[in-house]
Amino acid sequence: MQRRTPAYIVCSPQARAGVTTVARLFGDYFQNQRREFIGFDTDPHETPFASRFPREARVTNLSVIQGQISLFDRLLVNDETPKIVDVWNRSFKHFFAIVREVGFIEEARRLSVEPIILYVADETTSSLESALQINRQWPDLTLVIVNNEGAAPMGAEVHDILARYPSEHDLQIPPLDPIVQKIIERPGFSLSRFMLAPPTDMSIVVRTALRVWINRNFAQFQSFELRMTMSDTPFLS
Amino acid sequence: MKPAVILVGADKGGVGKTTVSRVLLDYLAANNVVTRAFDTESPRGTLKRFHPGITEIVDINHTPDQMKIIDTLNSAGAKISVIDVRAGQMGATLRALREIGFLDAAQAEQFTFVVFHILGPSISSLDEIAEIAPFVSDANYFLVKNFINETTFFEWDPRTYASYFRKIKHAGDVTIPKLNEMAFEQVELSGVPFSAFVNNQTAEGDAAKYSFVLRGYVRTWMRNISAEFDRVGLLATLGAKAPKR
Repeated sequence: MQRRTPAYIVCSPQARAGVTTVARLFGDYFQNQRREFIGFDTDPHETPFASRFPREARVTNLSVIQGQISLFDRLLVNDETPKIVDVWNRSFKHFFAIVREVGFIEEARRLSVEPIILYVADETTSSLESALQINRQWPDLTLVIVNNEGAAPMGAEVHDILARYPSEHDLQIPPLDPIVQKIIERPGFSLSRFMLAPPTDMSIVVRTALRVWINRNFAQFQSFELRMTMSDTPFLS
Repeated sequence: MKPAVILVGADKGGVGKTTVSRVLLDYLAANNVVTRAFDTESPRGTLKRFHPGITEIVDINHTPDQMKIIDTLNSAGAKISVIDVRAGQMGATLRALREIGFLDAAQAEQFTFVVFHILGPSISSLDEIAEIAPFVSDANYFLVKNFINETTFFEWDPRTYASYFRKIKHAGDVTIPKLNEMAFEQVELSGVPFSAFVNNQTAEGDAAKYSFVLRGYVRTWMRNISAEFDRVGLLATLGAKAPKR
């Protein structure tokens, strides 16, 4: 039986919410498992996601139709290769306008492609409103609320804020120590390569902190994937 | 259901008459209304290229061709006849229809007569309304603002348009929204009806490989146009049963 192909759409209407970090973690998660993925970076200027995965990810400019075709037509190929879309915050509205106008979600389901929205939450009401709008428009769509604690800390009210978001699933990206954060932000630094062969000249404290952080994230992703697989299996769901 | 003639025309060229005819044929087919079409772009017709199975090329000023259309209205299997009138021939066609007594027959309710008058963005399109008005007093007359070729009706002042619009009793107006240029171009290249493009089919009915994004744009555009035709009650005008939506 052919499995459904997941299309992870990582997004937030806000800048610096930590969208690319989440997209990057997913990319490295697949690479760490020696699985292929195809990535799309919708920021045609800085290409933060595509720069991390030059072989796997392509840059798509959604303001031109060619860019829209190269993204959505490829996402609809049910080849069991996971797709990751890093939605630039400035493309956010336009992205969902195109999704609505071309009927992407409905077509994806028809072709056994499962769009999964990884919505990076923050404390702003506009972000909450956008998440509610997506949920109203597509109530059956898998909407995962991601709390990226390092990029968009929500303070003491975090539980109240997250409780207002519509979601059956959530992911929590723990914060990183600033020193470790600086290291992973270095151009060319790969989380999956680090996991396979940590640099010998790296401090053991940094190595441990980074490994713990990566493992916590990857474990959540694996658990999420398992839940999705089980929900696809009628006698297990 | 009475036989009906739908005339699609304009005196100006390049305003998208054939596009509207094509959309109309798709809309009627989607509502299970059997339709035939006449393309007056003799000797080579654009409409026939997209709907070859139901379209015949005719010269509307040629008596045998007039007979081919009018004399067969009652006997043809398809009760609806769409006539795509070639540029510059709208007035002449209406005059010809009056001379052969078709307009009188329509007035006597032997036939349903619908006119889609496609307006261009220039002010001369508005002057056409005044010229055509005398012929369509008993027709179901629709002024069509076609945005597919132009983004704005730049020469139009809404008050001027309203004053022209009021000159004709029972006139309705229909807006054809803009379609993404590349999507339109792709349908043109594929040479299939809009509906076949949306369904990813070639002219032969085989599976095609059209872009999903482009098909999505065309699908939404057609849905919006169908909503416009529904809004003006086109199916009821033609005596066809409106589907439950």
